[in-house]
Amino acid sequence: MTTAISEIDPQELPKGVSLWQDAWHRLRRNKLAMIGACYLIAVIIMALLTPWIAPYAYDAQDLRLGATPPSAAHWLGTDLFGRDLLSRIMYGGRISLLVGFIATAVALVIGVTYGAIAGYVGGRVDAIMMRLVDILYALPFMIFIILLMVVFGRNLLLMFLAIGVVEWLTMARIVRGQVQSLRQQEFVEAAISIGLSPARIIWKHLIPNALGPVIVYTTLTIPSVMLLEAFLSFLGLGIQPPQSSWGLLISHGVETMEEYPWLLIFPGLALTMTLFALNFLGDGLRDALDPRVSKD
Amino acid sequence: MSFLGNRIFSMAVIVVVLYLNGCGGPEVNQVESGNRDQILHLGNGTEPQGLDPHIVTGVPEHHIITALFEGLVLKNPYTLEVEPGVAERWEISEDGRTYTFYLREAAVWSNGDPVTAEDFRWSWMRALTPELGSLYNYMYFPIVNAEAFANGEIDSFDQVGVKVLDDRTLQVQLYEPTPYLLQLFDHYSTFPVHRANIEAFGSISDRLSQWAREGNMVSNGAFELTEWKINSHVRVERRASYWDAENVELNGIVFYPTENITTEERMFRDHMLHKTNDVPLDKIPLYRAEKPELIELAPYLGTYFYAFNITKPPFDDVRIRRALGMTIDRELLIDTVLQGINTAAYGITPPGTLGYSPPKLFGFDPELARQLLAEAGYPDGDGFPPFEILYNTSEAHQKIAVAIQQMWQQHLNIKVTLTNQEWKVYLDTLNNMDFDVSRRAWIADYIDPNGFLDMFLTGGGNNRTGFSNETYDRIIQEGAPKATDQKERYKLFAEAETILINSMPVIPIYTYSIKHLKRESVKGMPTNLMAYYNYKYVYLEAEE
Repeated sequence: MTTAISEIDPQELPKGVSLWQDAWHRLRRNKLAMIGACYLIAVIIMALLTPWIAPYAYDAQDLRLGATPPSAAHWLGTDLFGRDLLSRIMYGGRISLLVGFIATAVALVIGVTYGAIAGYVGGRVDAIMMRLVDILYALPFMIFIILLMVVFGRNLLLMFLAIGVVEWLTMARIVRGQVQSLRQQEFVEAAISIGLSPARIIWKHLIPNALGPVIVYTTLTIPSVMLLEAFLSFLGLGIQPPQSSWGLLISHGVETMEEYPWLLIFPGLALTMTLFALNFLGDGLRDALDPRVSKD
Repeated sequence: MSFLGNRIFSMAVIVVVLYLNGCGGPEVNQVESGNRDQILHLGNGTEPQGLDPHIVTGVPEHHIITALFEGLVLKNPYTLEVEPGVAERWEISEDGRTYTFYLREAAVWSNGDPVTAEDFRWSWMRALTPELGSLYNYMYFPIVNAEAFANGEIDSFDQVGVKVLDDRTLQVQLYEPTPYLLQLFDHYSTFPVHRANIEAFGSISDRLSQWAREGNMVSNGAFELTEWKINSHVRVERRASYWDAENVELNGIVFYPTENITTEERMFRDHMLHKTNDVPLDKIPLYRAEKPELIELAPYLGTYFYAFNITKPPFDDVRIRRALGMTIDRELLIDTVLQGINTAAYGITPPGTLGYSPPKLFGFDPELARQLLAEAGYPDGDGFPPFEILYNTSEAHQKIAVAIQQMWQQHLNIKVTLTNQEWKVYLDTLNNMDFDVSRRAWIADYIDPNGFLDMFLTGGGNNRTGFSNETYDRIIQEGAPKATDQKERYKLFAEAETILINSMPVIPIYTYSIKHLKRESVKGMPTNLMAYYNYKYVYLEAEE
């Protein structure tokens, strides 16, 4: 018998496939999701390099030129002030992506921590924590953000944080539900029985297992905060001219869509394509991370 | 939640936009039904700050208040000549210093009380009561002792030159013959209010009183307030007890707060408005080319300007103010952003105001401006503290601000940020002097250079810059009113304006033009220099 064991080459043992590897394999087979991911990476790289690669400064005006349709000098045309639209879309993308990612990160950190604690501790603490979430849900979020902006003044970073602060509620609920059901499972009992601290159990065992829905919800939150930023800026609470974001470019484009349609079409395309990419990636991730999907 | 909300919102916007562009309008439209029922639907700029004639200061409020109240006199909208209002006739003494008004018997308030001379005396006392803080109280200052009363120097209104001779006779005593006096009495700041009505809701000096609200207000104009839905509309209806009711054709007027002029233009196109308050700049060429019968462009007695807060460094330095004033390329701004419909302004008084034209004391001169800035300690803009341009929320103001922001940056290397605020907040900010540079405008209350120049008297309610100059005050308050002929008077005005512009607490930018869209069914509402409406003349005729 001992020889039999020694005859088996350890190299030939089937490798254990972790959840992550498995998910990655499935994701890679999802063409749409991969296209979305590649597109997003390209957009992010472009946003990072914008100050060096943008053809013009975002605020360089040429009043005499005015609004012109796409041409060789200005690939996507110019706006009323003779500013290059391509450059403005590139610079606007920096703001839109930044708000998308920062606000979502804030929502992620608060929501996941809060939800996991509520779900794990349970009982009265859970009841109190979740009622607090209910109360915050009931607050009109616009008023809340406006209040924050009025109290702390207009500041780009603060606006990102403020948006994040109102966007974490749903995240907290999702994570709490997930943690509550995971909590009943044997591996958690095992972890408790070997004396791990609750913090360690939450961070090492519960949250990684709840990540699927969290990632999916995150990809949905990013477009939502981008749109929220456009709305706030329109009210004069967000960024101010001559800076711009995709949302603002679109809202200005709508005003003159009959006279200068390109001012609406191109920023609209930039935003829509990014939102599509995020949604494809989110869908792909949801499928990939769903443990119930059979391995084929 | 918010994502879904936003999605629905943006979808709704798209649907509305497509709808508005896709068809000519719904089967039943407000313009048509308005034409039938003589209800005028007017775009009115912004939500009114209030409807208390002694408190408000804006043009949107003006449009509503002139429908609700009536002063001693009215104006003819075609000629802008004075016509009898509550006063059926008046006499002017030979020295031009005493005006006697005879009030008409038929003039009654909306509650049936007669409009008496005492009503005017009490109302004017209210407007001048220091605690009420009326920003327009200087309109009364040609009247003997009015200023002293307004400043709290005398306590008794009996010393002011306003005398009630009997129920229907009112006498006004002036310091000097004031050529534009009658015009003051068709301005809302001199309109009468109903004493019992005001006292029922608060004291004489209660600024926050609820009397001027739907259901509370007693008024004496051709119309009465029947509905005021915040941010939706203000509705006034014809008042049968008005003394001249038989000559009022309209049955009602609905005023819409149309802060977003793009939306306003769509409302007009969708037959929801008879007349807009403004036209988006980008649409002007289109209308001029395709629907010239719907667009009205005309000169307007008003000046668009930027005002400094000169109590705040670095704007306490006249060199800096002048440098900023000289680097606005007005001609370029007007040719491009403003679609060529206005004229450049280099003085606060519009050129040709009753034959007076302001001296041109500076021009577009970036060279000199840079030199001035260097002298003030900021060579090439180095170390110049960043500051804000404040404007009330509007696409047109924003466009101008964006262009000027860039001009200052380009010519002076100065960083400027923009801040927009809703109209009421903006007015508060101005009054609290909590700004660096603000977008302002002044529309004539009466046709006379004095109407622009007395704004900048020391401590004047509409000064809002901190400007104060003794010589200037003396010329406007003592010199010009005593002038014996117009030539001398205008010479003094030019002198005062020279002081003002050389000190440059304000940067004149352009002289206004009226620009609005009007349905052809609206009759009797001509454009005039003051965009003055006399709703008695207005009627609607169904379009063929």
